Amino acid sequence: METQTTNAPIAPKKKRWNLFQSIADNPVIMKELRSRMRDRRTFILLTVYLVLISLFVIFIYFFMAESVGLSNFDPDFRQTLGKSIFGTVILIELLLVSFIGPGLTAGAITSERERQTFDLLKTTLLTPSALIFGKLGSSIIYLVLLIFATLPIQSLAFLLGGVGLSEIIISSILLLVSAIFFCTMGIFFSSIFKRTLAATVTSYGSILFSIFAIVLFVFGIAMMDSLLYSSNTTSANIAMAVLWLVISTNPILTAIFTEVILIEEQTIFYASSSFLGYGTYGLLSPWIIYVAVYMILTLILIFISIRLVKRPEH
Amino acid sequence: MSTIIDFQNVSKNFARRKAVDNVTLKIDSGEIFGLVGPNGAGKTTTMRMLVTLLNPDHGEILVGGHSVRKAPQEVRRQIGFMPDSFGVYGDMTVKEYLEFFAACYRVPSINRPTLINDLLELVDIPHRRDDMVDTLSTGLKQRLSLARVLIHDPSILVLDEPASGLDPRARVEIRELLLEVSRLGKTILFSSHILADVAELCTRVAIMEGGKLAALGTLDQLSENAVPHRLIEIAILDRAEDAQIFLNTNPAVSAVRVQQETGRNRRITLSVDFNGDDAALHELLASLVAGKFPVVHFSEETQNLEEVFMRTTKGIIS
Repeated sequence: METQTTNAPIAPKKKRWNLFQSIADNPVIMKELRSRMRDRRTFILLTVYLVLISLFVIFIYFFMAESVGLSNFDPDFRQTLGKSIFGTVILIELLLVSFIGPGLTAGAITSERERQTFDLLKTTLLTPSALIFGKLGSSIIYLVLLIFATLPIQSLAFLLGGVGLSEIIISSILLLVSAIFFCTMGIFFSSIFKRTLAATVTSYGSILFSIFAIVLFVFGIAMMDSLLYSSNTTSANIAMAVLWLVISTNPILTAIFTEVILIEEQTIFYASSSFLGYGTYGLLSPWIIYVAVYMILTLILIFISIRLVKRPEH
Repeated sequence: MSTIIDFQNVSKNFARRKAVDNVTLKIDSGEIFGLVGPNGAGKTTTMRMLVTLLNPDHGEILVGGHSVRKAPQEVRRQIGFMPDSFGVYGDMTVKEYLEFFAACYRVPSINRPTLINDLLELVDIPHRRDDMVDTLSTGLKQRLSLARVLIHDPSILVLDEPASGLDPRARVEIRELLLEVSRLGKTILFSSHILADVAELCTRVAIMEGGKLAALGTLDQLSENAVPHRLIEIAILDRAEDAQIFLNTNPAVSAVRVQQETGRNRRITLSVDFNGDDAALHELLASLVAGKFPVVHFSEETQNLEEVFMRTTKGIIS
């Protein structure tokens, strides 16, 4: 039998994108992870983080148990206790991630400038996006380690019951999105400023503003219930939309309201406006708006950071 | 030899200050080219534009035919840059440091171990490969920087003050290393305040001042331009005034200065600006001897780069 041969060039096999390969191929991620894991402060931070969360959980447990008597655990109370422990862990994790994230990244670019290695990197073939994603990736990997390290503490809630799969998934998404956003914010300010101190102070200032100032803003709006319950439907709807958006762009309020919606309305994706005591139309659950808004903001900040790193000096 | 670096009417301003002012310069492949000038002359800015860290405001810089503005990645592929600061990561070992930069230059991972070993051999620090960079002395850090610059096998090395902060021994060793690297066929452009190094290493030199090229050429050409006549030093024991009058009658002599009286023998030195060739110089010496002048020393002074530099520059800072 004769075999037919063709001279047609063989198309190169298209490489499938592989997350682990991308991480291994980015020299900055490997360098940063290596340096971080060599630094004893990394393990001190992890220990302090776990001790803090553990202390809060122990406090919640004994505080609530004391109120009903340690030997008098009925199933309903056990579920409430489980939910409380889970909710506390998530809220504290959100707060800690908000503060640790920028701390890890605010010096990412400025430290390269300070130790005069930035010029060396800029004259290599390393692209600005590889530099930004490398710095960001290594910080996110460390934050994911922190989040995973709290799983045994979170699982205490499962022993007591009351926490569903949907709550675990949504809280993990919220934590991850927050971690990515706050790390990106640190990188963004690090790309703008020349000094780490300036970048760190600005990052923390922005976070404090986004967490606490917005909380105050919500209360301010809530006080204006005359708007919500006014006879003018348009202004009441606008006030409602603003209130909902503000709630959904604050990590703590998002976590609280999502949990309340899960308990009160038993829904994951939607809530009724009657939940706030006004009207009966549907609203997107805050966690969805939170994820969408913060992912868009993250992408914008990454884009600007890459542009800032790319620009030649003046 | 072909032109590998081509500056075409390049200017760079910082605010209203002209850091580099209309510089045109061609550097051939394989040259060791020295850039000298006082502080603030524009040397570092010129180098930073070449290595794509700064964009020129006017003009064009081509590296191997690629524009630094339009094809920076192509330019980076061809250039290894060593800034005037060490810029090393203290928390890495020597081997990890070189591996990191090899990865940044996309050197295939399979080639890296051999390449790193070879480079450490070349810069003579293979025994320090597993030491932390922080523990290296300044001289060894500079050697490591040189290894880093060579990691992607660039055809051009741009070195900003490679010998600054080094002790005399380390300086000589770096100079030897540069000569060795040059023998590998690399083009080297370096700036230095240590003019003796420049004079010893460079095939051509550019002197910058106030952002402009004040002089350009080989050391001989620069000497010739800076001092258009030959300088002859004659020492006689006596009759200095007669000798001065006699020398002034020679058509090739443009000036005679009585410089100093030295030593126990009351030796008098006459410094003569001479415009003739070697035959005329021989005749001058013969006429002095025939005139029975007590000549004890007769020599031609060679211009060193320091003298050329001092004569060329005026201390202008851009």
